[in-house]
Amino acid sequence: MKLRRKLFSSKDPYDFSKAEIFLDACRENYDHLITHCDDYKKISEGLGIRSSKDINRPSDIPVIPTMLMKQHDFRSGRYMVMATSSGTSGKMSHVRFEFGALMAALKMSIKVTRYHGIMTAKPCRYIVMGYKPHRSNKTAVAKTAYLTTFLAPAISRKFILKHTSDGYKPDFESIVEALKKYEKGRAPVRFMGFPSYTFFLFRLLEERGLSFKLPKGSKVMLGGGWKQFYQEAADKDTFYKLAKKTLDIDEENIVEFFGAVEHPILYTDCAFHHFHVPVYSNIVIRDPDTLEPLENGQTGLVNLISPLCTATPILSVMTDDLGILHDGSECPCGVKSPYLEIVGRVAPEDIKTCAAGAADILKGVKV
Amino acid sequence: MILFNGKTYESSEQDRLLTELEQKIPVILSKKQLSPEVVIEAVDCLRTDLLEGKFDSLLESFPADVVDTYKKQATALLSREHLHKKLATELGSTEEYVTDPIDGFSQIRVRKLPLGVLFHISAGNMDFLPAYSLAEGLMTGNINIVKLPSADNGLSLKLIMQLIEYRPELKDYIYVFDTASTDIQGMRKMAELSNAISVWGSDMAIEAVRGLAPTGAKIIEWGQKLGFCYVSGLEKVSDADSELEGLAKHIATTKQLLCSSCQVIYVDTSDMNVVKAFAARFLPVLETAVSGNQTEEIGIRARDTLVSYTQRLKSYLGKEEKLENVIRGRGCSVILSDDDRLELSPMMCNVLVKPLPRENLGRMLYDSRYHLQTAGLICQDEERAELADLFTRCGLIRVTKGADMSAYFPGECHDGEYALSRYVRIVNIEE
Repeated sequence: MKLRRKLFSSKDPYDFSKAEIFLDACRENYDHLITHCDDYKKISEGLGIRSSKDINRPSDIPVIPTMLMKQHDFRSGRYMVMATSSGTSGKMSHVRFEFGALMAALKMSIKVTRYHGIMTAKPCRYIVMGYKPHRSNKTAVAKTAYLTTFLAPAISRKFILKHTSDGYKPDFESIVEALKKYEKGRAPVRFMGFPSYTFFLFRLLEERGLSFKLPKGSKVMLGGGWKQFYQEAADKDTFYKLAKKTLDIDEENIVEFFGAVEHPILYTDCAFHHFHVPVYSNIVIRDPDTLEPLENGQTGLVNLISPLCTATPILSVMTDDLGILHDGSECPCGVKSPYLEIVGRVAPEDIKTCAAGAADILKGVKV
Repeated sequence: MILFNGKTYESSEQDRLLTELEQKIPVILSKKQLSPEVVIEAVDCLRTDLLEGKFDSLLESFPADVVDTYKKQATALLSREHLHKKLATELGSTEEYVTDPIDGFSQIRVRKLPLGVLFHISAGNMDFLPAYSLAEGLMTGNINIVKLPSADNGLSLKLIMQLIEYRPELKDYIYVFDTASTDIQGMRKMAELSNAISVWGSDMAIEAVRGLAPTGAKIIEWGQKLGFCYVSGLEKVSDADSELEGLAKHIATTKQLLCSSCQVIYVDTSDMNVVKAFAARFLPVLETAVSGNQTEEIGIRARDTLVSYTQRLKSYLGKEEKLENVIRGRGCSVILSDDDRLELSPMMCNVLVKPLPRENLGRMLYDSRYHLQTAGLICQDEERAELADLFTRCGLIRVTKGADMSAYFPGECHDGEYALSRYVRIVNIEE
């Protein structure tokens, strides 16, 4: 995977001139997949792509919907780590990563977080608005939230979701107690995790009339998606105002990440809260009726492409998000690459069908 | 949410309520019997209120024309008159009688009685199916445990609660649970409380229920079926265009999601060129029907596209390669295939078109015998009876026009049987 190494070693994570290396690295990844995964080969041939010579642009690469990955376990080589999607509807995708993918991901994370000033040497306290790691939890979201607590040396880590005998439960009270303590210290505090829990915390503090002046350099980092909170998410301004009011954290210190287990690329928002596409990936927005690629500015299904991983065929995946790709020039931050706006999700997947045998009765039951 | 004896409870109380139900059932069974008249009256009240607009707010999520169709159907099907007719058709005489005397034998009294406790596992592919299935169980006097499909949007529960409000004595006979399909313990417990399990669903679901059910429990299956349309001598069919439009409209409106929906169109020929010519003619007709039925909601369109694309990729997996040629239109496609297997299409207005000369019909139908139900027929009038006879001899249950494959016909059976007759047993008492 020489070309992958080259791509992920790019100095500037938003260097727009790397398009050719990107396409070559995708072809290299494709060549691996069709020789290591029979299922991928069948799909590729079914779609009329017989070799990497048929791939003239990233949108030509066979697209695997995450909907299919939740129903079918694909493997394409040896792996070191396996992660699963959060599986909100009980179905999960399994994604396996080989050593090379992990190294590429590490290089990417360092470059991106450095670029955005998140990786620093100053020790800080972490409050993870997500899962406390537990061996029963293999979700990528738990792993990545935990990993981000290494972006700056950690003095302490507190988790809002605690593993109890009844599963995971949020524990807001202990977070409030911790904030009272941290306010008096010098070390910056970093919040990391689900936007929804962070939002709830802000509102809880506001309702109780509590406000804190957290040490300088404190940040709120958001990841794991807004999921069912799209309607509330529409009001991000309220979120920023509440962060200022309850924790004294300014808008520029609120950083949001976007990624998916099936597309583990680190998208980090710029100062104008836009997710610019880094060199490691491409995004194609597809027509909701025909799946043909759309021009920038139009709403459609989000197709995410990256040659990061070879152990699972996630070269080109389609999530159930609906989004718009905007020209980079529309954003005043200076980054030239286009940026993605997620505008919603497709209608719930629990589609009513009996002909398909997918009637949701006893799904996956083995008796 | 659980509905138990007329009251609602949190889902977390399921275990306790099921234990309580185990005590309750023998008391109810030994004390009394539910008269179908009570049920018919409650359903009739529901019809009146529905037509007067009392439930309009509940139906807001449906498109206006769908609501109109539902109301039109309710006017006829939920009426007292129709329900009495249904009882008579499906159960025959329910009057108790004494057998004729025969020398050397005792006479017996013969009576039709409910099975006892029915456990309904409803599918989510038709709106109101859980409530409908329950009403059938009630009309035959059974105690009913209903597991709602996870796709249920709360409408079923509201309708069922309404029935109890009209006739409170129904409450002893209705227990609705929103158990998850993965809660095997819960489902097994419900199965253990029942005399019979009525299950709607896929082969896989039925297989799983068989494993779940206690030995001796009667399993009433309403299984996975695949519909097809047979087109013969199209050039001689009078009004062929409107027949094709009807079929296209059927595909566009059911999105091929129902057991009766058309998955494959068979053309009576062995010549692939004829099949191709048919596909080329049908695609624009289908496209028009689809665009006429298109929803503006981008989330739904995108979901439908994703579902059919996923289904298409699945068809590439684990199968030997076969000659396949897809002609795509906007929001639909016609998939040409040279085999004659009756199989599931990618759905969502992506229909398979295959050659099937008449001499091979018998073999194809025999090969598909476990999944046969509805065949649409587009042919000359004089051939209709002959083809319908052939189809029904070889296992089909419904033969309809192409346009009416999923239509409801008052008096029709389901999968070859009357539901009500499967929910009762016949008892004999020596005189």
